[in-house]
Amino acid sequence: MSVLRPFRPSDLFKFNNINLDIWTETYGIGFYLSYLARWPDLCCMQESPSGRPMGYIIGKAEGTGLEWHGHVTAVTVAPEYRRLSLARKMMDMLEQMSDKVYRGYFVDLYVRCTNELAIDMYERFDYSVYRRVREYYGSMSGGKNRRDEEDAFDMRKSLSRDPTRRSIRANGRDIIVGAHDVS
Amino acid sequence: MSTAIERQIKPIYDALDTNSPKSAIVSCNKLLKKYPKSELIKALKALALLRLGKIEDCLVVCDDVLVQKPTDDAVLTALSLVLRGLGRNQELMAMFEEAYKGQPQNEELGQQTFFSNTRAQHWKNAQMTANKLFKQFQNPKYLYWSITSTLMQARDSTTPPEMKTMLYKLAARLISTAPSPSTDSADKFHLHLTILREVDLDEACKHLETPTAQLIYNNNLAVDELRRDIWAKKGMLKEEGDLARTRISENHDRNWLEFKSLLDAAFAPLAGDAEPSEEARSQCTENVEDIREFLENIKREDGRRDRSASLALVDLAHRERKHGLSKNADRLLDLLQDYVKQMGGKATCFEDITRFLDFEGADLERWTAFLQERANVVVSQETPTELMKYINVQKLLRYNLSAITVDSEVDAANALLAQYLAALKLADDLKEGELHPADDLAILAASAFVSAWSLQEGEEKEGNGGLVYLYRAAMVLEYALTRSKHAYSMRLMVIQIHRLLAAPTPALEHYRALRVKQIQNDTLSHMVLSRASAFSLSGSGDLTFLSECIEANQIYVSNTQDTADYTGRAFLLEKYSQIPGFVDFEDQLECSLHREILKVEHTRMRYCHEIISEDVVDLELIELKAGFDRYQHDNRDFDIIPNYQPKGQPSYYKQTRLFSIDQERNWLRTMMDMYVNALTHASNLDDTVEEKLLIGDRQRPNANTTDRPSLRNWPSEPLAELTPAEAALKDFSDALSEWMKPYHDHARPPPAVVLAEAAKQAALKGGQPLKGIDLAPATNGSAKKDPAEAPAVKDAPESLNVFFDDIKVRLAETFPGRKRAEALHIAGLAQEALLFIVIESLRWKNPTNVKTHKFGALVQHLKAIRAHAIAALKAMAADLQKFAQEEDVSQRKLIQEACAPLPLDHDFMLDVAKKVTDSRKKVIEGVAKGMIKLCSNYNNLL
Repeated sequence: MSVLRPFRPSDLFKFNNINLDIWTETYGIGFYLSYLARWPDLCCMQESPSGRPMGYIIGKAEGTGLEWHGHVTAVTVAPEYRRLSLARKMMDMLEQMSDKVYRGYFVDLYVRCTNELAIDMYERFDYSVYRRVREYYGSMSGGKNRRDEEDAFDMRKSLSRDPTRRSIRANGRDIIVGAHDVS
Repeated sequence: MSTAIERQIKPIYDALDTNSPKSAIVSCNKLLKKYPKSELIKALKALALLRLGKIEDCLVVCDDVLVQKPTDDAVLTALSLVLRGLGRNQELMAMFEEAYKGQPQNEELGQQTFFSNTRAQHWKNAQMTANKLFKQFQNPKYLYWSITSTLMQARDSTTPPEMKTMLYKLAARLISTAPSPSTDSADKFHLHLTILREVDLDEACKHLETPTAQLIYNNNLAVDELRRDIWAKKGMLKEEGDLARTRISENHDRNWLEFKSLLDAAFAPLAGDAEPSEEARSQCTENVEDIREFLENIKREDGRRDRSASLALVDLAHRERKHGLSKNADRLLDLLQDYVKQMGGKATCFEDITRFLDFEGADLERWTAFLQERANVVVSQETPTELMKYINVQKLLRYNLSAITVDSEVDAANALLAQYLAALKLADDLKEGELHPADDLAILAASAFVSAWSLQEGEEKEGNGGLVYLYRAAMVLEYALTRSKHAYSMRLMVIQIHRLLAAPTPALEHYRALRVKQIQNDTLSHMVLSRASAFSLSGSGDLTFLSECIEANQIYVSNTQDTADYTGRAFLLEKYSQIPGFVDFEDQLECSLHREILKVEHTRMRYCHEIISEDVVDLELIELKAGFDRYQHDNRDFDIIPNYQPKGQPSYYKQTRLFSIDQERNWLRTMMDMYVNALTHASNLDDTVEEKLLIGDRQRPNANTTDRPSLRNWPSEPLAELTPAEAALKDFSDALSEWMKPYHDHARPPPAVVLAEAAKQAALKGGQPLKGIDLAPATNGSAKKDPAEAPAVKDAPESLNVFFDDIKVRLAETFPGRKRAEALHIAGLAQEALLFIVIESLRWKNPTNVKTHKFGALVQHLKAIRAHAIAALKAMAADLQKFAQEEDVSQRKLIQEACAPLPLDHDFMLDVAKKVTDSRKKVIEGVAKGMIKLCSNYNNLL
């Protein structure tokens, strides 16, 4: 039970309970405003009935030709509001917009190869690994899992405009590309 | 531009791009010998000088190009970067407008002109530029730019109220002339509805009726939000309820807004009527039954997948009771119990239902009995879900606690701590980034300890012995943080306690572990920077807190420079729905209350560190005064600090505030007044001079806040937000200021002389003469005042000396109870009083000023007060040093003894105790050292 509403610039003053989290980055003002100035309908906030922020999603539409797709740049839920299907609701919204309004072929997202919880969740949402991107992220700990930490899985889910599901593949984990090969 | 010059200029751009402004300047100077008139090279040189921080030189070069009225693209681009960096948005606008006037065919230039208008928030000019662009290029986009600018002008705080309606109407008329309907895009439609909402609700509703409009609002959250608001304003609760019902049942929409609409519609017959008719009541009862049936079906359908319908049923029963439609609490109680049984395993259960918990008497007893029974049922805590159920029940029980005492809170804390420790085994192998599921039990235990501490009174609470429960709370949180290192809420809680314990180092360490960055500097840095001057060791050379202030301030610089670019981008990409939000955001950050508080705290710390000289007072004064005439937004995030204290008790944050008081607008205004008064006396600036010497624009008024008073006009309760020692400092500052004012006013040179001097300095540097300055008055002697008219020197008010005697006693009074934070606070204020004397003395450092006006006696008085102040400060420093010496093993032992009953590791507790006592010793010693240094700095000022 939550209010789903557009993400607003003033949310930056309120989203601390979501962003004080190791997996959630707080970017410069320009990051949020550049998304809102271009894809405001792909950015939304979930809040509790009392007005407390619960989670948000920030997305964009990009690519050309058959690569035209929706992209999840950030999706995050405050620790106290996890296990309430909020991420699913926000992903549903972004998929629906990418499908109906932007008419994209698929939706994709990047996730650290070490973030098993998130990978499991996206798989439950019907995303599958399309490729592994080398050194996409900076290192977090520099420890033994450094390679997995720095590498990202590019995960995709096809939309209604791709009825033959050509934008996904079964052996994605074996396909490895460099960070410079992706947008 | 010839290719030869182009080739030669490239290294300048490269140097600028690679952040080597020095080498850019060298290249510019070399090329300027060859092409002394090149506007581009000069503009680039100005940019390089700006990046190097040589503002005055930059101004000279920049003005030199500006008077040439440049039109070349590259020159305009370089200069626009310079002017933006200098904060001269008005000149930026003038430059582009001038250039565009000469080249009305240049569309790119027209757009740049428009963006310079929007950057300066000069919406009237923006609208005119957009109109020009539309007429010239016939692109409908420019018509929308014009419409949006008109809307923004109507919203602007500087627009007179009578103009506003006219502007909204103008915007509505303009949009109706658009070549294609606004339903072309969601953003245009959003703009259209925003305007119609202000001028014609019926028309707005009519526009919402078309199938295209329905398609838009069903697929766009922003437009739907606006539709909801328009329908609500029009009183269309029933229609809203019907739409919500369809969305819930047919589209499976579970947005809580739909459920809220459904409930609002059910109670619509009673809305706005204090004594509704019987007919309305029976209609309402009928609606309620209908909605209940509907929600029960949805609840059955959703099961545990979604809790919206369950909670909506609770809300329905609660409203029913509130409106007197249902007399007994049975239904509400049953639904709440059901909710706790179903959703108790979710962390959010407590927050979901607290707003419905207003039971009293027998109802409350039944509710409590239910919770207690559940506490016994779920006490096993064998899975994270079971544990969460237990935690929720504990939170709910605590929420309704009424008769609490110190003992009952200590018992509660001990029991919760035991449960916490038992539950730790549940997740022994936490993965990186995970929070421990038992964290909230530690939070509850620490909250109960803090509550026990705050229930103590007087000396028992304030004194050293009274800190027992505060130590225990800190210990519990410190321990829990070793088990769950990313639990930010516990860090926030423990930061508050360490500040109360006068241990700034561990507080700062925890704050840094939060990795606060970007905008969070505005919303969260108050956790350690509020009243940071009390803990700052800047006087003895440790600039930690001073640097934190500077770092936190960066976000405001980046807002001023960059946010307007994104407003421009939203125009370019035609995302009109975003523009008001962007402009309001810029304002909210630009005029942040915390920003002004930081400024004051920073000044206080800096003055303990740097020697105050007359050279900087003018700039300091301008900087401090800047925020006076605007409304300040309070963006500080206090809600982030968890609160599980019983209903009716002060929140955890309130209980743990330093000196039990907030830094609010009256505090800020009082502190600013003190500094502004002193600096105004020391300075030769008056408003007319200030206007001419300003580098950037005057700060513009708020964007959209006409009904909220500026700091200057804030309803004043001068003493409401001050500690007793601060109130004493205010009296001191008032008396000093009142005494000194006539002498400064008399000795201050007239504005014309000040300006002439400034102009002379500017001319010496080879720049343009200052605008609008007539040098004539400076050359004749008529501006000089007759020394015979000098006010007679009066004796210094006795209260000035008394202040220092009193504050010495005040400090000594903190020692027996070892009130360390208060001691530091008082010591800081005593230093500030000396600094005010220093500032008031600056003018008299120049013997000519004294001799000309025959103020020798005044100087003697000032010297005597300063000597008295220094003697007091030295004595206080000596006392503090002694006080610091006592922060030894015995104090550490005291903490250990206080925490001995806690079932935590002994060595761990010893470590924490050491951290606390070491930090205290360091800060008290450092402050004492700083005081002595300050005394020696100003021992021979006059």
